[in-house]
Amino acid sequence: MAAISTTAERTTAAAPPRGRRDANTKKLARIGWGFSAPALLVIAAVTIFPIVYSVIMSVSNVQLSGNGFALNGITGGNYSVLVHAAVWRYAVIFTIVYTLITVIVELVIGTCIALVLERLTAGRGWLMALLLIPWSMITVINAELYGYIYNGTYGVYQYLTGLVGLGHPVILGTPTGAIAGMMVADIWKTTPFVAIIVLAGLVMLPGDVYEAAEMDGASGWTTFWRITLPLLRPTIALAVMFRVLQAFGLFDLPYVLTGGGPGYSTNSLAILGYFAMFKNLDFGPGAAVATSTAALVLLGCLASLRVFRVQVGKENA
Amino acid sequence: MSRRFAPRRLSGPTLRLAALAGAGALAIAACSSSSASGNSPTNTGSSTSGTIVWWASPIAGSGPTDTRTVLINAFEKQYPKIHVKLENASTNTDTNRATLATQISGGSSTPDVFMGDVIWPAQFGAHQLAVPLSKYLPKSFFAQFAPGLVQGATYKGQVYGSPLFEDQGFLYYRKDLLAKDHLPVPKTWEQLMSEAKTMQKKGQVKYGFVWEGDSYEGLTCDFMEYLTDAGGTVTNPGFTKGTLNSPAAIKAVTFMRKLITSGVSPSAVTTFQEPQAMDAFASGQAAFLRNWDYAYSYANTPSTSKVVGKVGVAPLPTFAGQSYPGYSNIGGWNMYINPHSKHLSLDLTFIKWLASPAAQRILALKYSEIPTNESVRTSPAVIKSNAVLAIVPQTRLVPRPAGTPNYPAVSTAIYQNVNAVLAGSASPSSAMSSANSQVNSALSSSSGGGL
Repeated sequence: MAAISTTAERTTAAAPPRGRRDANTKKLARIGWGFSAPALLVIAAVTIFPIVYSVIMSVSNVQLSGNGFALNGITGGNYSVLVHAAVWRYAVIFTIVYTLITVIVELVIGTCIALVLERLTAGRGWLMALLLIPWSMITVINAELYGYIYNGTYGVYQYLTGLVGLGHPVILGTPTGAIAGMMVADIWKTTPFVAIIVLAGLVMLPGDVYEAAEMDGASGWTTFWRITLPLLRPTIALAVMFRVLQAFGLFDLPYVLTGGGPGYSTNSLAILGYFAMFKNLDFGPGAAVATSTAALVLLGCLASLRVFRVQVGKENA
Repeated sequence: MSRRFAPRRLSGPTLRLAALAGAGALAIAACSSSSASGNSPTNTGSSTSGTIVWWASPIAGSGPTDTRTVLINAFEKQYPKIHVKLENASTNTDTNRATLATQISGGSSTPDVFMGDVIWPAQFGAHQLAVPLSKYLPKSFFAQFAPGLVQGATYKGQVYGSPLFEDQGFLYYRKDLLAKDHLPVPKTWEQLMSEAKTMQKKGQVKYGFVWEGDSYEGLTCDFMEYLTDAGGTVTNPGFTKGTLNSPAAIKAVTFMRKLITSGVSPSAVTTFQEPQAMDAFASGQAAFLRNWDYAYSYANTPSTSKVVGKVGVAPLPTFAGQSYPGYSNIGGWNMYINPHSKHLSLDLTFIKWLASPAAQRILALKYSEIPTNESVRTSPAVIKSNAVLAIVPQTRLVPRPAGTPNYPAVSTAIYQNVNAVLAGSASPSSAMSSANSQVNSALSSSSGGGL
């Protein structure tokens, strides 16, 4: 949250000038750091250190042995393995396209749901609780569930298509079917999350703007496009960030549903990295996959922030 | 949004503190990695008592009839001073590999002995994740196993695994339907296809032939059988070059695809692993099944099967013009020792006992697992005990190309490309040529090329 609002903060928040900071404040700050130091140490040990180590591994010649890892010098070999592997290039494209499509669809459907929910007075609580069921489900369980639906011999989906005379397509047996099926499972699960975030943004929108719009005779359509949506941008940016981060780490669904197949059509970057590290025990290339994924998702987030930042500033100006 | 979360600039002392925290984390990590560098077994000693931990995934049975418990009890009866503690492992071999590799490379002295896949010796040997058993056990120990098994557990002249029980592909068929239609047990793949079609046309079964076609290790096993029947190989004998770009490989994968396009195998077979294939057969929907040793007892268990008493088992067919039987791929499990184990002599005692006729007879007679000890395997009592064990001596075996530490990448190259052909998204020749180049890049570098 903080990251998104920074621009607004910097321009509007009245930070106390440095000189006025008395000894007391400094002391308080020191105590604060003192108290949070143990927690920060833990965070450093379990997140920052592994991240840094993984980046180092990705540029090292890693040898795994019975006595742990040995890093034998710096090398670009791990990344050259990636660039020369058609599987990696495919995984990058697949993961990006998958992220784009699922996030956009989730955003559109989620916003629609939020708009409906905002209008509702009775039963909103119930509906929200219902909506949250898919979101609260563990992804692996969600994947198993869709595994049953898509099953090629006794799946619900096959049964239904059979009833309406569409034959018995094996959803997970073709690349397009498997990718689409996986997207549906993902969208089903995470749209409610987007809806809830957007709804939270909606209820916070100022009423006076809407009154003004009504006075000016703006249609509902115009109000939505000219007022609601622009005002919602920061909220939407937040939802997009969360979703991009998560969708990019796509692992559970292909791991359970297809194992990356058919062929390698649903091999996401996370699956690829997992295979390299824990099946091939090739920790160098595996770390390179992980690092390249992190770099890509970072770029993606920065790009989406850039897109939305302008609007955040305007809204506060 | 909320102002409370506005970032604050780090000032002097806090920056130092943060730096300190980072250094601390690094120091902790350094400590842990240095303590992890305990060396290969120091205590090879002659101690005859103590406790060892055995890492093993479920084999068969449960509770007091659990194979592992029964084996441990029998062992402890003979060696009362040695106690074996069972560590229940996952049934997923990839999960096991990941856990064991991180645990052992992290310096853990347990588990002392572990049950591991037959395709691990090269990988575990190359990364020093297992003790070279041939350094401690005499040639006579390895001579007691069925031919080919020890070779499969050897990497660069050292034997890393002691075969515990073997597994291999079999052809299961509906003997009731074959008898009704006056059809013989198929000896060629072509014959299997036409017989399956006959039974499907008569409406006796929905599917002709079910097998493992999903994008996973099991497909590599199935493919190895067709490939070897067609006269092909995956790599050259020295594991330096791929040989998949061959007419034999294309013939094998073309036939596998034809099983689907002809309707003999359901198109869902491209998503089948063992359980799905087993279910299709056990529910009476399929005429033929390619599966492992366990399928016979599974298909003859009333609670899981509708075809009890109607199932026959035979060696796998081969392609027309080749000599019968076709090749069966080798699966199964070896026993390995953790290089950090502090009880090497106890570990060896346990492993030696597991290879002995006493243990092997338990595996074969009580659980119908295929024994690795040749004398048990060929003993009349074992052959008489079970239809599957009876045909084991007639089968021809082919291992997977696991003699390279990069076997997992080789296998991935195989199953992904073969699965793409089965799913109809790649042609046999282009799939085999891309599989071959993936195999080549996997073999090219010593520290695991390719992905």
